[in-house]
Amino acid sequence: MNVDAGVGCLSVEHCSMLLKPPFTLSHRFNFRFSCQTRIFRARNSRNSRMAPPILSLALPSNTGRVLSIQSHTVQGYVGNKSAVFPLQLLGYDVDPINSVQFSNHTGYPTFKGQVLNGQQLWDLIEGLEGNDLLFYTHLLTGYIGSESFLNTVLQVVNKLRSTNPGLTYVCDPVMGDEGKLYVPQELVSVYREKVVPVASVLTPNQFEAELLTGFRIQSEGHGREACRLLHAAGPSKVIITSINIDGILLLIGSHQKEKGEPPRQFRIVIPKIPAYFTGTGDLMTALLLGWSNKYPDNLEIAAELAVSSLQAVLHRTLSDYKSAGHDSESTSLEIRLIQSQDDIRTPQVKLKAEIYS
Amino acid sequence: MKSVIVIGMNVDAAGVGWLNVEHCSMLLKPPLSLNFRFSPQTSIFRARNSRNSRMAPPILSLALPSNTGRVLSIQSHTVQGYVGNKSAVFPLQLLGYDVDPINSVQFSNHTGYPTFKGQVLNGQQLWDLIEGLEGNDLLFYTHLLTGYIGSESFLNTVLQVVSKLRSTNPGLSYVCDPVMGDEGKLYVPQELVSVYREKVVPVASMLTPNQFEAELLTGFRIQSEGHGREACRLLHAAGPSKVIITSINIDGILLLIGSHQKEKGEPPRQFKIVIPKIPAYFTGTGDLMTALLLGWSNKYPDNLEIAAELAVSSLQAVLHRTLSDYKSAGHDPESTSLEIRLIQSQDDICTPQVHDMGRKLHHI
Repeated sequence: MNVDAGVGCLSVEHCSMLLKPPFTLSHRFNFRFSCQTRIFRARNSRNSRMAPPILSLALPSNTGRVLSIQSHTVQGYVGNKSAVFPLQLLGYDVDPINSVQFSNHTGYPTFKGQVLNGQQLWDLIEGLEGNDLLFYTHLLTGYIGSESFLNTVLQVVNKLRSTNPGLTYVCDPVMGDEGKLYVPQELVSVYREKVVPVASVLTPNQFEAELLTGFRIQSEGHGREACRLLHAAGPSKVIITSINIDGILLLIGSHQKEKGEPPRQFRIVIPKIPAYFTGTGDLMTALLLGWSNKYPDNLEIAAELAVSSLQAVLHRTLSDYKSAGHDSESTSLEIRLIQSQDDIRTPQVKLKAEIYS
Repeated sequence: MKSVIVIGMNVDAAGVGWLNVEHCSMLLKPPLSLNFRFSPQTSIFRARNSRNSRMAPPILSLALPSNTGRVLSIQSHTVQGYVGNKSAVFPLQLLGYDVDPINSVQFSNHTGYPTFKGQVLNGQQLWDLIEGLEGNDLLFYTHLLTGYIGSESFLNTVLQVVSKLRSTNPGLSYVCDPVMGDEGKLYVPQELVSVYREKVVPVASMLTPNQFEAELLTGFRIQSEGHGREACRLLHAAGPSKVIITSINIDGILLLIGSHQKEKGEPPRQFKIVIPKIPAYFTGTGDLMTALLLGWSNKYPDNLEIAAELAVSSLQAVLHRTLSDYKSAGHDPESTSLEIRLIQSQDDICTPQVHDMGRKLHHI
C-alpha cells in the first residue's frame, strides 16, 4: 500500500504486525510491561481474562477519555506532542495513535521516520476493540497526509460512535494556511463532503474555512457566515482560530445549540507576537477540546481560557529564546510547553470574548 | 492490499521465534514549501513571514539554566493504558523535563490483555530516527532512558545510541531499567541477558533492576539484605554509580535497596526503604518508578535516598488512588491487574508527601 505523505514521489511501504499470543504464554506476556510490580504486590494475581473497568468512564468526571490520532515527533512540540500533555494536565486520559513517528517536524531541513498507513491504523482499532477498550468520549484528529488514511479515520469515527453514540469528534481540518495547500488536493473534498458532516467541533483557520465553505472570508461578517454554513453541514461548534481582517487577528467562535436555530457567536481579538512558532494550532485545538468539554454550554469561556493559555505559552517561549540570546525572528520557535504547566492548568484570562448580537 | 516489504529485517519482538515482524522506514526530504506542515494555524500569532532559515533555534532545555534536562526515552508505546513511555513521559514532564520519546513499539494495549495489535520498530528504524535528529543538530541530551527491549538486535542498536549520544554529550546520564523478567521468569530472549551483563551495565549511569534482574546481572542469588547490598557493589564495579534494586522480598518484607558510589573504588552509600504491600496487582509501575527515580535523582544528584523517598512516595500515592478508584467503581481490585491512575495523580507526582519510611544504613 502506497501512502502519499505530502509528495507523490515519496512513497512509503510498510507492514504492521499482528500478535495473538498462545494462551499458554499469557502468564508470561502478562508481565512484560510491569516486571517490577512485585514491589507492591501481595499475592499472585489471577490470570483473569476479564479486563478491569475503564475508570475514566466508570467514575464521575468532568473530563473524559480522548483518542488522539496525530503525528508524533521525537523532538519538538507538534501534533500529539503538542496535544497530549495539555489535555493530560487538564485531567483527560489521552490515548495517542501516532500517525507518524518522525525524528523532528518537517520544518527542519531533513527528517526521518515511519508513517502509519490506514490498515495499520485499523489494526490498532481492532486491537482495542478485541479487549473492549473502544469506548471514548472524544476523538481528536489533526494533520492527515493521505486520502486513504483520512478515509480510515472516517471508519474509526463510525466504529467509535457504534460504541458510544455520544462521541464528540474534534477535528482540526489541517489543509493549509495563507493560501498554501499542505495536503493533496483530493483531501479537500473528503473533508468537505465526509468529515465536516460527522464532526462535532471544527477548528479551521481562515484558509481552511474558505476551502470548506467555498467562499472567501474578507470581513467579520464573512467569518460568521462561514460558521453558519459549517453548522448547517455538521458541527455544532465551529472555531475559526485565526482570521486576518485589515491587519487585525481574530478568533471567531460559533455554537449552534439546536439544529436550525441561529448560533451564538463571538470574537476574540488576538494580540500579535513578533515571532513564528510551530505546533500552536495543534495546541490550540487540544485546549479548545479540554476547556469546551468542561464548559459545554459556554464556548466563549472555553475559547478565552484556551487563547489565554496559548498566549502565555508563546510569551514564555519568546522570553526564553531572548534569554538564550537567540533572535526570535530568525527561525521558527519550539514552544515551551513543559515549562508552562501552570498556564495550561489555570490560565489567567486576559483576552475577553465579545458576543455578536 | 498486501504490504510490500522494502527492508527484510526480521525482529523477534515477542520472545517467540515464529512471531516475526518485517517493515521499513521512510526517509523524506521535503521541499522547502513544506515547512509549515505541522503548524498551519500559526498565523494566529504571526507578525510577518518568517525567514526560511536553515539555522535551527537553540534547544532551550539546554541553553537555559535548569535543574531538569532533556531526556531521550526509548520505550514501548501503548495507545491505551499506562506502561512504557505512557508511564514514563508524563511524570517526567510534570517534573519539568523535556522528554523526547522514541516509541519502540506502538501497540493497541499492553500484552497482558488477551490480544494486542500494532507495530514494532526495528534497530534500523531506531537508527534512522537518531540520524534524523543528528542531521538537524538535535542530538544533545542530558539523559537517555530505556526500559523493555525485546530483541538482541534492537538492544545492540541502543548501545550504539548510547555511544552516539555520548559523543555529543560526554556527560550523558544513561538510566537503564534492565527489563528481563521477574520472580524467576524470563520475559526476554535468553541471549539478551549476556548483552545486558557484558555491554549495557558497563555504560549505564543508573541501573534500576528488580531482585530477579539483579540476580541475572550479578550471577548470584539475593536472599538477604546483605546479598542485596553486595549485588549493588558488584554492579557498581561493573559500571553504574547509582544502583536501585526496586524490589527485594526478604522473609515476606518488601524492600528497595539503593546504593550510590560517588567515587570509583570507594565504598558506596547505601540505604533501604521498606515498602508497604498493597493487595492488588498493577501494570506499568516499574516504568513509572524508573522515570521518577530519574527525575528526582537529577534534582538531588548527591542524595539518592531523598530521590528514592520522593519516587516511592509518589508511586505509593498513585497506587492508593488507583486502588481506591477501582473500589469506587465497584471492581474487585484483586480480580485483574489494574491500570494506574496516572493522570489523576498529578499533584502526588509534582509534590509527593514523604512519610517517614527511609532507613539509612551505615555503610561498611
